[in-house]
Amino acid sequence: MRDQTTSLLCRRRAVLKGALALAPWLICPARAQDDPASAPPRRGDRLVFLTGPKKGAPIRSDDLTLGGPQVQAYPADPNGVVRDGSRLNLVIVVRIGSDGLSEETRQRSTDGVVAYSGVCTHQACPVNMWSDDLKAFVCSCHGSTYDPKNGAEVLFGPAPRHLAALPLKSENGLLTVAGAFTGRVGMQSN
Amino acid sequence: MNKLYIGSSLAVLLMAGTLGAAYGADYTPVTDARLQNPEPQNWLMTRGNYQGWSYSPLDQINTKNVKNLVPVWTVSTGVDSGHEAPPIVNNGMMFVSTPYSQVLALDAATGDFLWRYKRKLPEGFSALHNTSRGVALYGDKVFMPCLDAVLVALDAKTGKVDWEVKVADWKDGYYMTMAPLIVKGKVLVGVAGGEFGVRGFVQAFDADTGKPVWKTYTVPARGEPGSETWEKPDTWKTGGASTWMTGNYDPVANVVYWGTGNGSPWFGDQRPGDNLYTSSTVALDGETGKIKGHFQYHQNESWDWDAMNAPMLVDFQKDGGATPGLVTPQRNGYLYWLGRNADGSISYLKSEPYVPQNVFKSIDPKTGRPDVDLAHKPGTGKAAQFCPGLWGGKDWPYEAYNPKTGMIYIPSNENHCNNLEGKVEERVPGQWWTGVAIPDFHFTVDTKAGFYGELQAYYMDTGKRAWRNLYSNSMNWGSVLTTAGDLVFAGGTNDRQFRAYDAKTGEQLWNFRTNSGVIAPPSTFEVNGTQYIAVESGYGVDPAFQQTLMGALVGWNPDVPQGGVVWVFALSK
Repeated sequence: MRDQTTSLLCRRRAVLKGALALAPWLICPARAQDDPASAPPRRGDRLVFLTGPKKGAPIRSDDLTLGGPQVQAYPADPNGVVRDGSRLNLVIVVRIGSDGLSEETRQRSTDGVVAYSGVCTHQACPVNMWSDDLKAFVCSCHGSTYDPKNGAEVLFGPAPRHLAALPLKSENGLLTVAGAFTGRVGMQSN
Repeated sequence: MNKLYIGSSLAVLLMAGTLGAAYGADYTPVTDARLQNPEPQNWLMTRGNYQGWSYSPLDQINTKNVKNLVPVWTVSTGVDSGHEAPPIVNNGMMFVSTPYSQVLALDAATGDFLWRYKRKLPEGFSALHNTSRGVALYGDKVFMPCLDAVLVALDAKTGKVDWEVKVADWKDGYYMTMAPLIVKGKVLVGVAGGEFGVRGFVQAFDADTGKPVWKTYTVPARGEPGSETWEKPDTWKTGGASTWMTGNYDPVANVVYWGTGNGSPWFGDQRPGDNLYTSSTVALDGETGKIKGHFQYHQNESWDWDAMNAPMLVDFQKDGGATPGLVTPQRNGYLYWLGRNADGSISYLKSEPYVPQNVFKSIDPKTGRPDVDLAHKPGTGKAAQFCPGLWGGKDWPYEAYNPKTGMIYIPSNENHCNNLEGKVEERVPGQWWTGVAIPDFHFTVDTKAGFYGELQAYYMDTGKRAWRNLYSNSMNWGSVLTTAGDLVFAGGTNDRQFRAYDAKTGEQLWNFRTNSGVIAPPSTFEVNGTQYIAVESGYGVDPAFQQTLMGALVGWNPDVPQGGVVWVFALSK
């Protein structure tokens, strides 16, 4: 509730800007959107490795092992600012291949690579584990399991809904964000 | 936010303020003397007393009349996940915490709702266990360790924040779920995060101001005593030994006994050495935090068998006399009798398995050090099966000691195993870092055994089992309360039942089906001459995860309804 209220006030400030002097009580806190490191991924962002020997480097399709597991990544804006200021920007990327993808997932994929929010919809833990048996993402807290070929729908566990997808395209082999997260990221708090 | 909402909010605030003021006049400050000799009518701390007995001298409700126990009021907490906090009661005012770091204050007799504290957790925050195991009281304050590793002091009368202090950085994997321990004007807290590569510690804060007083790491730094047990450089920095359950306290000797967790990562070959003080009880000087003694239950921890529960402080009969001792059923499946020495040191006396365990070939009768069967010790690239599995003979739920019966009551589980194989993993601060992924836990059960959960009673002096109740279709995650009415109260099963047993015989005398599974410690108190039994019901966290696995293994219904409710019972009139 507070966030929505703040957001409305800040939008009002933007409208009023230049026309009226700001009352001190109208000054807004820095919002995630003002800080590129905390802003959500946008079209044109690259994805960079969170771990491994190429940590911090932009991810190319052919960096990824066909068939999984996923790698963890953060988006980086065109100036190279990594958007790791918010845990909600954690992304998981897997080269799952083009076979058997649902139509929606196929449209969001490139070179058989799909990307999703890495934040579990159950309790917001990182979805950074992999089931080789199911070829599926697994949450590191309570084992919720998501199907990468079908919009990250829940296969098992307590998660109430699928992970938000992050549409991809390829630019000279570099994975590039083609649009915003397709839905709400993370858990619905109590 | 519409006008109606604002109006309602104001009305609630005004009402809460009025009720708070009414209680404010009557609120009885909690003192050291009261904590050392808690009145029978109150439940001033998590285990009921500093010795950690989970025992009440109240006997109005007893074996003869417990069949007449009925609910007198309830309240919904409004949140899901695992409810694991006991209702704490001070002269008619109840304080109970919930998952997601909330505290509710209620009139303990009527259920009138007085105030609620609700922590705003940071954006992007997550915790492995979103639970709370309770608050502590001192003076006119309520102390709440929040999930984001911030300790908050609330005004007991109003719920307003008096002070708050950051204990650790949640982004590095630290979080807090235990209830604090009050030690002579100080608030002691520990930290969770053993699955994230934290370095455990116990820290004391001034109850009045929140100012840090002392901080003692449970993994020694280079050059400190015990550091030689970390043979590989730098492994101690992320070595675990988290401190995620509340300690017990000897106020005469001013020694605090605190339990520590597993080593990080889980596989001991990645951190060679005994790894002090993982899976240990540490004895801390209450004034300075200095480590005065320790006992390590098993070395080079590799089974996720935390020693998180502090031992109960008891005097037991040995060699014809009373011995100041410590008794503790540990997650590794053994029940220990330890010596509580005047200088703070801890000596090993004896131990016996209370569930079958296949890892210890023997235990040195002088030192208590187990001889480990390496065939059942998992390692990096080396799969090994061990029983009981990683949830142990018992997990965190509290045992209880009844001085009238001379028995200790242990909520335990058996006929389950894990088969783990470790990997070397890169640590990402705040992320799971055990060396094994959840899909690779290989949790198995013995389906021919006929039961999994059980409630066991042992004579403390002799170690002989007096009775046990077996649960064929459930694990047991229920902390135990025992009373001078010769009763034992516990939930813990997946059928949502809350039960009363005859403490001497184990006969079930009463049961009540609640809204959800009861995995919280019950408490008892008296207001205006009436004794009440109180408990949260709200399934979740590890019991729910384990239930899901049992669904896949043996067909149990994985959907145990969630959602928290505080239940308060009394005898029907």
